Formats: sequence, structure tokens, C-alpha cells
Amino acid sequence: MGIHFREVSFHYPQNQLTFYQAIADITLQIAKQDEFICLIGRTGSGKSTLAQHMNALLLPTEGSVEIFGSLITNKRDKKINYNLLRKHVGLVFQFPEYQLFEETVEKDIMFGPLNFHVPPEQAKQIASETIKLVGLDETYLKRNPFNLSGGEKKRVSIAGILAFDPDILVLDEPTSGLDPQGKIQMMELFKAIQAKTGKSIIIITHDMDLVYEHASRVIVLHDGSLIYDESPEVLFRRGDLEQFHLQYPNTIKVLSALRDRFGLDLDIYQKNLPDALLAIKKAVAR
Amino acid sequence: MKNIVLGQYLPGQGFFYRMDPRTKIIGVIALMVAIFLLETIPQLLIALAIGVVCMLLGRLSIKRIAKGMRPLFILLIFTFFFQILFNKEGSILLQETLTISLASIGAIIALTILWRLLAKLRRFRFLLLLGYLAGVYFSLAYLAYGYTFASFVFTVYERGVEMSVFVVIRLLVIITLSTILTLTTKPTDLTQGLESLMRPLKVIGIRSDEFALIISISLRYIPTILDEANKIMAAQASRGADFLQGRLKDKIRQIISLLVPMFIIAFKRSEDLADAMETRNFIPGMKRTRISELAFGKTDILATLFIVSSLAASIVLRVL
Ligand SMILES: Nc1ncnc2c1ncn2[C@@H]1O[C@H](COP(=O)(O)OP(=O)(O)OP(=O)(O)O)[C@@H](O)[C@H]1O
Ligand SMILES: [Mg+2]
Repeated sequence: MGIHFREVSFHYPQNQLTFYQAIADITLQIAKQDEFICLIGRTGSGKSTLAQHMNALLLPTEGSVEIFGSLITNKRDKKINYNLLRKHVGLVFQFPEYQLFEETVEKDIMFGPLNFHVPPEQAKQIASETIKLVGLDETYLKRNPFNLSGGEKKRVSIAGILAFDPDILVLDEPTSGLDPQGKIQMMELFKAIQAKTGKSIIIITHDMDLVYEHASRVIVLHDGSLIYDESPEVLFRRGDLEQFHLQYPNTIKVLSALRDRFGLDLDIYQKNLPDALLAIKKAVAR
Repeated sequence: MKNIVLGQYLPGQGFFYRMDPRTKIIGVIALMVAIFLLETIPQLLIALAIGVVCMLLGRLSIKRIAKGMRPLFILLIFTFFFQILFNKEGSILLQETLTISLASIGAIIALTILWRLLAKLRRFRFLLLLGYLAGVYFSLAYLAYGYTFASFVFTVYERGVEMSVFVVIRLLVIITLSTILTLTTKPTDLTQGLESLMRPLKVIGIRSDEFALIISISLRYIPTILDEANKIMAAQASRGADFLQGRLKDKIRQIISLLVPMFIIAFKRSEDLADAMETRNFIPGMKRTRISELAFGKTDILATLFIVSSLAASIVLRVL
């Protein structure tokens, strides 16, 4: 179970004669339970393309993706119920504009549950619960999603996926466009969902602090190829990340600067601010 | 849906690409008139041959052009049969009594099933269709067994065959002409050419520059809107409403749920575009300069010579 990529490549058609290879020869496995994966890579490295393979929105040009037992290949298979796959794997789009389309926020959140045959009254109930989960209040339910601010749209688009309770959550840059407080809230929400249900969560992000603090596994794409698939502890001990246009988390950057500037005996690999402060105190005391 | 290419423009080299769009537009119109002036099949064949030579000189791939014309083949076939069936001049070439009988109906049903079964062989689609039509004809002509529902006489006249060949070749040449135009001219160049040609219409109150702006914005936004439609469909599919799945009733509901957001987004987009144009100081009706001005070159002079002499030649042929 879960998702299994086997040598997947994908080409976007460019015009009648040429195509653009967005991902190349990707092999990877995602378990159904207990994974907290961050997918990182520079702009245009193919992260969103890879994410859209996880719920069969895009079909691989070469190779195959196995999603909860269904083998997805280049050809649409009449025997596979694609809608059911989307119930298993919920994908939040990178740009909420692309995901919101109903006239009111409430209808938009109810769209998924209704498609998966949840009775209307119950779907309404779910809508008013999930809107609160993502940090908005119920007055938003009657508003037009096209008139919301960027961050509000983002939250509504996340609510639209949470509403039908998928088995695996794939979130394409869920914290972009949110204020710092909102980012933390959102991450806490995902953490809480995982703690409660054990669902695997895959997050695409450019925020290395978030990756370092929360991820149990990091997948790095570069020019469409998978270059690293390992824990953040291992990844950020590498010295070559800058050549892939990746940065180090702020804690590591600050601590290593302190270490070099003052010649402290300091463990620079701290995941968050309290730990970092503690490490500094220890080093100063020594 | 991404690979719907508008106006089928294909980047390339050769003199067709270097020509001014205005020369091409006027040239295509003039040559069409010239073709309509021709009266016999040999004349048309010569015109076709000249056309093929021009394409070869212009380094256009004939295969590409044939591919571009594919949607119009149905029209050609239809015209061909229409002429054969309804033109009743000249001597009789073929006369056959066609009977709709039990046997022929049975044979036609069998043929239809066979044809649909073979429809998987997409490469031979056209041959299969011809074979099917021939089969239907023969079963109507020779299988007059069992109860007879009706019968009629099918005649083909000499003039009918001649006319059908003539009309088909004429259509072929004309379609080729317009295909060359659209294949080698960017839609934007085409509108710029039209704008420039229609500028004299200003005296009767038609503003060609605004007209051209509207057309070029529409052309520019068709792929964007298709893209948008794709994205909305993906958003719906990812929440359990896949367009390619489900019954007809579901599909109709899904199309409605596609159209509403499409309109909202299109209106929003047009407002954004208007704002963007205004922030860059666009004022309707003001004279604007262009990045690329249209200019006549050597090829245009040669092409004009060719067009004028072709037109003259066909006028002479017609009058003689
Ligand atoms: N619909 C499309 N048609 C053609 N090319 C595309 C399309 N979508 C993406 N691409 C190309 O594929 C490559 C990968 O795109 P993708 O959206 O997966 O990148 P990404 O890693 O998500 O980037 P970002 O961090 O900016 O979101 C890019 O170079 C992009 O130009
Ligand atoms: Mg992306």
C-alpha cells in the first residue's frame, strides 16, 4: 500500500514537435502511515509535477506509479477507478486560484465530500468544522472564494482537501503566502493530524527551517532528478547543498557563524530556537 | 488539450517565412481568384504542379501540409460524392439497380459490425471507410434476395465524374493555399497584416487598429483560457470529479461546474489585463509604435511578380 514510483519520467508537450522533460527516472516509495516527508528543490525542479503523479492527475510518460494497489501507467485504464485514488491521496495545489472554483467557500469545501457520497447535511457540518481547523471562522463560509486574500485562499484550499479525509496528504507549498504566525499554526495542524491518525504527509516547501524541524525524511529534486532521499539530519550535514540552490536552516547558519567567529566548541545541528539557545549557553559555559 | 495549436503556425525557414504577411494575404486572395477562373482539369493540374514546386522551393514539407488539411478531407469526400450523385449531364457511364432487400440489409449490418471492429486499426481508417462504402454499394447492387423493401436506379454520368474530379482538385488547391498562409505566418503577424491592409477603411469609420488589438488579445488568450480550463478540471478531478469518468448525467453537471469558474476567471483576467495596460500608459485610440514594423523585401517583390503573372495567365486562359 501507499505510493510506489518506478522509474517515472514525465514530458510536458511544448509544441507539436518538442517536449519538455520535467521529471526523469524517479524511483521512490511512500508508506501509507507515519511518514512526514518534505519535498524540496529549486524553482522548476519538478516538485509540483511529481506531486501531481501521486494522485494520478498526471500520468507518467514512462515508468509506472502504484497508488494503493492500482498501477498507473501512460495509458488510462478503464478498470481503475481514478476518483477513488483521489480519495486515497489528497493533493492541495500550489496555487489556490487553480483549486477554488465554486461560488461560495462553503460549496467549495463541500465539493470533495459530496463527490465521495457524503450526505449533504453531513458535508455542511464538515465544512464548518474544517474552516475552523485551518484558522478561519464561520463567517467565511458564505464568502466568494475569488474575493479572498492570498493567505485566506490558501487556507480554504487546504480545507477543501482535509474535508474528505484522504489517507495520504500531499501539500504543495501549504505555507507560502501565510504570515509567520499562520505558518506555525498550519504546521501544528498537520502535525496534529498525523499524531491523531498516523496519516503520511508530504509537504513541498522552500522553508528549510520547517524541513529541518519537522520532516522525518527529505526528498531533493534537481533538474527533474531525485538526488537525495534521506533524513534531514544527514542531508544538512552535507556540504554541497548550495550547488543545488538550497540553503541551510537558520539555526545551522547562525550557530556555525557563531562557532567560527568566536571559536566556540558548539554543536551547530540544532533543530529549533530553544535547542539552539541551550547549545549556545552550554558552549559559553565551557 | 495543451497541444491544440492555434492557427497551426509552425516555426521554420524558407522564403514563405520571410515574406511580409500583407503580401501573403493579398497573394492568397489573388491566387484564389485565379484558380476560380480556370476551367479545365489540365489547367488545374498545372496550377497544382506549380503550387507543389513553390512548396518545395520554400522548403515546406508536403506531409505537414497534408496533415494540416486532414480535417477538411471529409469536406472533399462529401463534395466528390455529391457531384457524382447529383450531376446529371453528359453520357451515362454506369447504371445499376440498387435494391434494399433482406439479404442486402443483413450484409450491410454485417459489414458495419466488421468495420467498427476493425476501427482499432487507426492507420487504415480512410481505406477502411472506402472499403466499407464499396461493400455497401455491392451488397445493394447484387444481393437482391428475400423480401424487397424498395429499389431505385443509380446512375453515374460522365459529366458528373468530370465535375467531381474538377471540384475536388480546385478545393484541394485552395485549401493548400490557405494552409500555406496559416502554416507560415504567426497569428500576430497575420493580424498586423490585416490591420495594415484595412487601414484605408478609416474613412468609413472602421478603426482597424482597435479591431486588430481585439483580435490579437483574443488569440493570445485562447491558449491561456484552455490552460485555465485544464487546471480547473484538474482541481475538480483531484476532489473526486474526474471528467473522463462517470455517466452522461455526471458529465453534464461537471461541464456546468467548469463553465461557471471559467467565466469568473475570464472576467477577472480581463480586468487585470486592462489595469496592466493602463499602468503601462495604454490609451485607446492613440497612435502606437511597434517593435517590429512590417517591411517589404526582395522576396515580396518576386512573389508579387509571380502572383500578378499567375492572375494574368488565368485571365488570359479564361478570355481565350
Ligand atoms: N503545464 C506545463 N506545460 C509545460 N511545461 C510545464 C508545465 N508545468 C510545468 N512545466 C515545466 O516543468 C518544469 C517543472 O515544473 P514544476 O511546476 O514541477 O516545478 P516546481 O519544482 O514545482 O517549481 P516551483 O518551486 O516554482 O513550484 C518547469 O521547468 C516548468 O517550466
Ligand atoms: Mg511547484
